[in-house]
Amino acid sequence: MRPAITPAFVLFVLFVVAASLLPLGFDPRGHVLRVAAMALLFAATAQAWNIVGGLANRISLGHAGFFGIGAYSSTLLYLRLGVSPWIGLLAGAALAAIAAALLSLPTVRLQGHYFALATLAFAQVLQVIANSWPGLTGGPLGLSIPFAGSQPLKFSFRTVSSYYWIILALLVVSCAVFHLLATGAIGYRLRAVRENEQAAEAAGVDTARVKLIASVVSAALTAACGTVFAQFTYYFDPDSIFSLPGISVRMAMIVIVGGLGTLGGPIVGALFLIPLEEASNAVLSSKAAGLSQFAFATILMAAILIQPRGMMALWPKRWSAGAKLTVERTSR
Amino acid sequence: MTQALIDGILLGGVYAVIALGLSLVYGVVGIVNFAHGAFLMLGMYVSWFAWRHLGLDPLAGSVLSFGAVFVLGYLVQRALINRVLAAPPAAQIFLTVGLLIAMENGALLLFGSDFRSVSVPYQLQGYQIGGIFLSAPYLYAFISAIALGGVLELYLARSWTGRAIRAVAQDPMAATLAGVDIRRTYARAFGLGVALTAFGGGIILPYITVSPTIGGQYVVLMFTAVVLGGLGSVRGALVGGLAVGIIQSLSALLFSIQLENLCLFVIFITVLSLRPQGIVKGM
Amino acid sequence: MRRTNWLLRRACAGLLVSALGFFAHRAPAAVSGEVVIGVIQALSGPNAQQGINAQRGTELAAEAINERGGVRALGGAKIRLITSDVPTPNTAAEVTQRLISQNNVSAMIGTVNSATTLAASEVTERGGIPLVTFAFADQITERGYKYIFAVSPKGSTFGEAQLNYTIAIARAAGENITKIGILYEDTAYGSAQAKGLRLAAAKTGVQIVMDEAYPQGITDVTPLVNKLRASGAQIAFPVSYLNDSLLIIRSMRQQQLNTPVVGGAAGYVLPDFRKGLGDLAEGILSVAAANSDLMPDFAAKYEAKYGTFITHDSLMHAAALDSVVQAIERAKSSDPEKVRDALATLDYCGGFAKGVPGGCVKFDATGRNASAFPVMVQWHGDRPVTVYPPQAAKQKAIWRGKPTS
Repeated sequence: MRPAITPAFVLFVLFVVAASLLPLGFDPRGHVLRVAAMALLFAATAQAWNIVGGLANRISLGHAGFFGIGAYSSTLLYLRLGVSPWIGLLAGAALAAIAAALLSLPTVRLQGHYFALATLAFAQVLQVIANSWPGLTGGPLGLSIPFAGSQPLKFSFRTVSSYYWIILALLVVSCAVFHLLATGAIGYRLRAVRENEQAAEAAGVDTARVKLIASVVSAALTAACGTVFAQFTYYFDPDSIFSLPGISVRMAMIVIVGGLGTLGGPIVGALFLIPLEEASNAVLSSKAAGLSQFAFATILMAAILIQPRGMMALWPKRWSAGAKLTVERTSR
Repeated sequence: MTQALIDGILLGGVYAVIALGLSLVYGVVGIVNFAHGAFLMLGMYVSWFAWRHLGLDPLAGSVLSFGAVFVLGYLVQRALINRVLAAPPAAQIFLTVGLLIAMENGALLLFGSDFRSVSVPYQLQGYQIGGIFLSAPYLYAFISAIALGGVLELYLARSWTGRAIRAVAQDPMAATLAGVDIRRTYARAFGLGVALTAFGGGIILPYITVSPTIGGQYVVLMFTAVVLGGLGSVRGALVGGLAVGIIQSLSALLFSIQLENLCLFVIFITVLSLRPQGIVKGM
Repeated sequence: MRRTNWLLRRACAGLLVSALGFFAHRAPAAVSGEVVIGVIQALSGPNAQQGINAQRGTELAAEAINERGGVRALGGAKIRLITSDVPTPNTAAEVTQRLISQNNVSAMIGTVNSATTLAASEVTERGGIPLVTFAFADQITERGYKYIFAVSPKGSTFGEAQLNYTIAIARAAGENITKIGILYEDTAYGSAQAKGLRLAAAKTGVQIVMDEAYPQGITDVTPLVNKLRASGAQIAFPVSYLNDSLLIIRSMRQQQLNTPVVGGAAGYVLPDFRKGLGDLAEGILSVAAANSDLMPDFAAKYEAKYGTFITHDSLMHAAALDSVVQAIERAKSSDPEKVRDALATLDYCGGFAKGVPGGCVKFDATGRNASAFPVMVQWHGDRPVTVYPPQAAKQKAIWRGKPTS
């Protein structure tokens, strides 16, 4: 299925090319590259969330659960059994897919706020389990990825630029998956479900199945991002990897601010928010505790109040690829 | 075991009042307020300052919390929440999430991160009835919570505003036609909802220390109580709150303390999926 | 609407450009004639009390060192501290990375919190910057890392001391300890010390009748107190940070449980412990890494400046800073590699190292200060005094209200 050569596609390719050249201009061990890599990683994660949150319009506040499953799977396999994190990545994705399928059972009929609450509880359950099972997960102490120097087969590199390119590749994969789903049969059916679930059912769409597929794919992709995150940041604990504000909300916020349901939304959102947060932290966090987060939250609220559809809506429609959507609430 | 049960009931009464606020907001205004825990925290701080600078016992200070947070809630609803009532759920969710983060960090900025606690004479007292030990602060908080619950029930049933609130919850369109000012009612309901929770925060001050992130500890509990009892139902919040208190207390006894909330989460997901409208219906 | 969009586009672009512009700005290279040392502490969040104490101790020590002539081997270069706030472990890696990339640090100092130190040390190890910490957790020095040094004994050593010292004190008062209860916060610090308590109990044949981990941010300790009562323990050994320590003591008194308490450092030795409990704090024992009465002059200076007595956080960090300075002196260089090598072979018993029980800083092969030992302190009046072991004790311990012989 060849993607059409739309202006949006050209833009995307240009972006990828430009992004891959970035490390050449900056210190390969440096901080700037780290921030850029982190931004791209969160863009990839946000894109995965976008599948459920954007295409299916089901706001999940528990995606950190899948993120954490990815991180824990690969890390535990590596620490306990010496399995390369590359394989661990696949294992984590598979586990997360299973978890998503299981989670779908009680949540497939839930809408809107209820769904958000259920997914939130899901992530919290995993957090509690991770915290209270030290034998398996190391408990609240968290896990450290031992420093192995430069061993590409074990997903260990000396320079940030190596991680950066892997993350960029992950982002491309994430966007490709999103695009395929969005423009394919699944996306078509999801749009129907989004607009009017009952009508879709009546028209013969297996709503449960398409929601399940979206959920499973999203979970697997998110878990892969979790693995890469763990390898990149060398240390995580249950409270940080399953975090509601730090992971779940952040990935959703990136998509919302960037443009829910659009291909470019997560990228634009991440490139805007992460450097902004970083600069804000660097400048403000030493002045007064809480100031940078406060400023950040205020910006988020302002963004939503001014333009509930996100930044992508600021640009003319022809620039945005993929399905655009927001379901307006017409009645309670 | 019975001790745990009693402890659970005492805790549950307070959870009920806290959950009541959340339930009211959803039932009337129609949004799930993810920032609700932050209002609890605010209520605690107001009571603490009242204790510190005015010498007011937290039980009395809670009334002050109620009033102050009501005003704040009213303003927040008019200025912020109102604007997203017609927006997609995503926008609503993230507005309140943003509000949560802003409030927590705002509190951090204003009050610092120190844990603050009060020191009142009955903090170290308790009553012994049979073999059961009833700690005084828990008991007084329970009584205050139930009292406020009763007052609220009366208010909703008898007063004009109370009836307006119930009308809007049932059918906003019909309520407008009947002459109710929707905007003001929403604002009042929201204000009332967060004020109730703030009051809950004030009365638990004798046995809980307050810090900017204390609200987070109660989010799960609040939501579970509300979902158990049914989003939008006052009586349901009471049943839900008591249930949560008892479950939590028994879990801590039977399993390790770390797992005391696990039970609640699992119950939460189960009830959400099987019976989202809650175990108790009606308002 | 279109005009709003136009404005917003410009605003977004503007914000982004300024953020990027911020990155282009680089911090100035270190001025010659000064040595830059990075400090990471929790200055906000739940562990802020201890972090601030540590920060103050470090600063006061830096002032003192600069006053007596700075780093002599580098021509009297002054110490310059660059401090970053790390409220939680998950921000540690980022903050540390930022600090290192934007400054030319010779070494880093911090933190008080074990979990945060673990996270930060991953960055310093990979970045080749030596990190000298006060945090207890055994794990910190058990990973085979070369760039991590700890001025205090291991958490499990503290745990063993917590029990062994208590047994000795009780025996001197004529009481035999057979049944104890341990309750601990479940992160790196609490778990490490609990391990030590268990080890010591196994060695001395003491029975542990209650062994409970609790979540670090716990707000209601009633279930713990109930379990403690039901277990029949003679003594309770809690390992807690500040907030949980207050909750536990208050809750015990409220439920009229009068089991003696021997704390596990952290929360139990802070000024706020006494402020929060008032007279309830009197007589409470705790293990600690150091105490104000071991370095009275410095303690007096600290108290004059900050208004509260000096804690072991401050004392041990002063020692940490001094070790780094000594390492720079011996290496005659501020290059992180050379500083690291000098730290590894350091044997320093002067200056602020005297505030460490044992009087010296000497790191073993894993990076632990092998010459240090824990002390037992007891609250008398408004501050803790050292009561055990005899070589460090300033006063006799009071057991169950009666002075020991």
